[in-house]
Amino acid sequence: MNEQLIGFWGYPDPSLINKIKNQYPNCRWVDLDVDLGAPDKEILPKAYCKIIKNIINNAFALSPVKIAAPIGKDKCDSGWFAARLLSEFGFDCETSIYEQTLPKRPIKICTSNLPLIDKFNTIMNNIIDGIPDINYPQIKPQFGFWGVPPNDYEILKLFPAATHIYGWTRCVEAGTPADLELEMYVDASIPTVFYAQAFCSKTQLAKYLADKYNGLYIDVDDYINNSIKAKIEAFLRLR
Amino acid sequence: MIYLDAGTTYSKIITTRNDSFDKKYFIKEFEDKKYYIIPSSIIKTSNICPSRSCGHMSNATENEIIALAKGCKGTIDTNATILDLGSRDAKWIRFKDSKFHDMDWNTSCASSTGATVEMLLKFYNLKRDDLEFNPEKFTITCGIFGLEKIMDDISKGEEAKTSIAKFIHGIAYNAWVFAKKPLKIYLSGGFCDNKCFVHSLEEYCSVVPLGRFVLCEGLIDE
Repeated sequence: MNEQLIGFWGYPDPSLINKIKNQYPNCRWVDLDVDLGAPDKEILPKAYCKIIKNIINNAFALSPVKIAAPIGKDKCDSGWFAARLLSEFGFDCETSIYEQTLPKRPIKICTSNLPLIDKFNTIMNNIIDGIPDINYPQIKPQFGFWGVPPNDYEILKLFPAATHIYGWTRCVEAGTPADLELEMYVDASIPTVFYAQAFCSKTQLAKYLADKYNGLYIDVDDYINNSIKAKIEAFLRLR
Repeated sequence: MIYLDAGTTYSKIITTRNDSFDKKYFIKEFEDKKYYIIPSSIIKTSNICPSRSCGHMSNATENEIIALAKGCKGTIDTNATILDLGSRDAKWIRFKDSKFHDMDWNTSCASSTGATVEMLLKFYNLKRDDLEFNPEKFTITCGIFGLEKIMDDISKGEEAKTSIAKFIHGIAYNAWVFAKKPLKIYLSGGFCDNKCFVHSLEEYCSVVPLGRFVLCEGLIDE
């Protein structure tokens, strides 16, 4: 018998996660945001957020028995529309809106000495089961990375371990994915790359904050190319 | 020692000590350095082993923005914007109090840069010096639309050189906006030799041409 999967995206309300865990105790959870190489169903326009495309295409490729579907400010309007579209295609989507800003978990991973890619993995791979309560060694920041988990994690390998995470990913570690104040917080003294997926509304915040803090604004559609790498490399070396 | 800035169309080379190239590519000599501009198609088929390099080659040793930043030092004010406009990309860097402040790199759009102008000149059998500044500019969000405007203009009876000058004016305006509308631009790259472009850019800011070897100079000091 094929393994049954529960799909999710963003940061579902923990109460919804617990409810589905009780309903489907033996199912494996899969983050539909992630680029898993699913074929393009061409349901969405070509010029559209790659993360939302991942959600749609992964759903069709993996056929999850249930989808925990954040649709509030903790995700985006595109998440809201994606939940509707997937429901129209027959998927069992249960929506959640998780917009509270308290209580906050302490930030330990975004500011840790882990390589940047490990910081992201540690935060994003533990949304369902909870971030482990470990006292990660902290490191003084040399650079900042603001943004959502990129579609292409290769970009994260360009940064040294002394890079702190800001933006939505930091909100996820805090357990408050709709906390706009925390999402907009950066350390003004640290050279920061402001990253957003192309065609994502968060490009609005990324561009504004990059201008405000004299950082580097980057938007990438799907995969980074040598030119984007060179631009980031130059920023990191010259700042 | 050979320092190579491999452009899409032309490669800029500075040699020191006893290294040299064919005289027909020689541009100038300054102190112990010799300067050459060689078609990149020749570089690709040659066995040149540069000491350091940047540009459009698979084994470039230096980042172009870094080379630009290093190459302009000593020739610019403490507060300065340097724009490098090449065959297929545009990049700029800004210094504030002699420290790096800001940058951007339009990394791969060939539509509105040097290669397009070269193709237009060839297509209409014109020389660069045939072009004269025109106060009118085409609004060109994309080179393809720009080409369409040139063709429309010519079909209405305009001379090709005048239409291309309007196109170049549009490129100059876009470059100035891309560099965040500075009061003064230090210009690097092949467009330094294009009087029509420089005059067009001067409509928006003062322009100091630095020539085509800025990136190449930036390779030397390490």
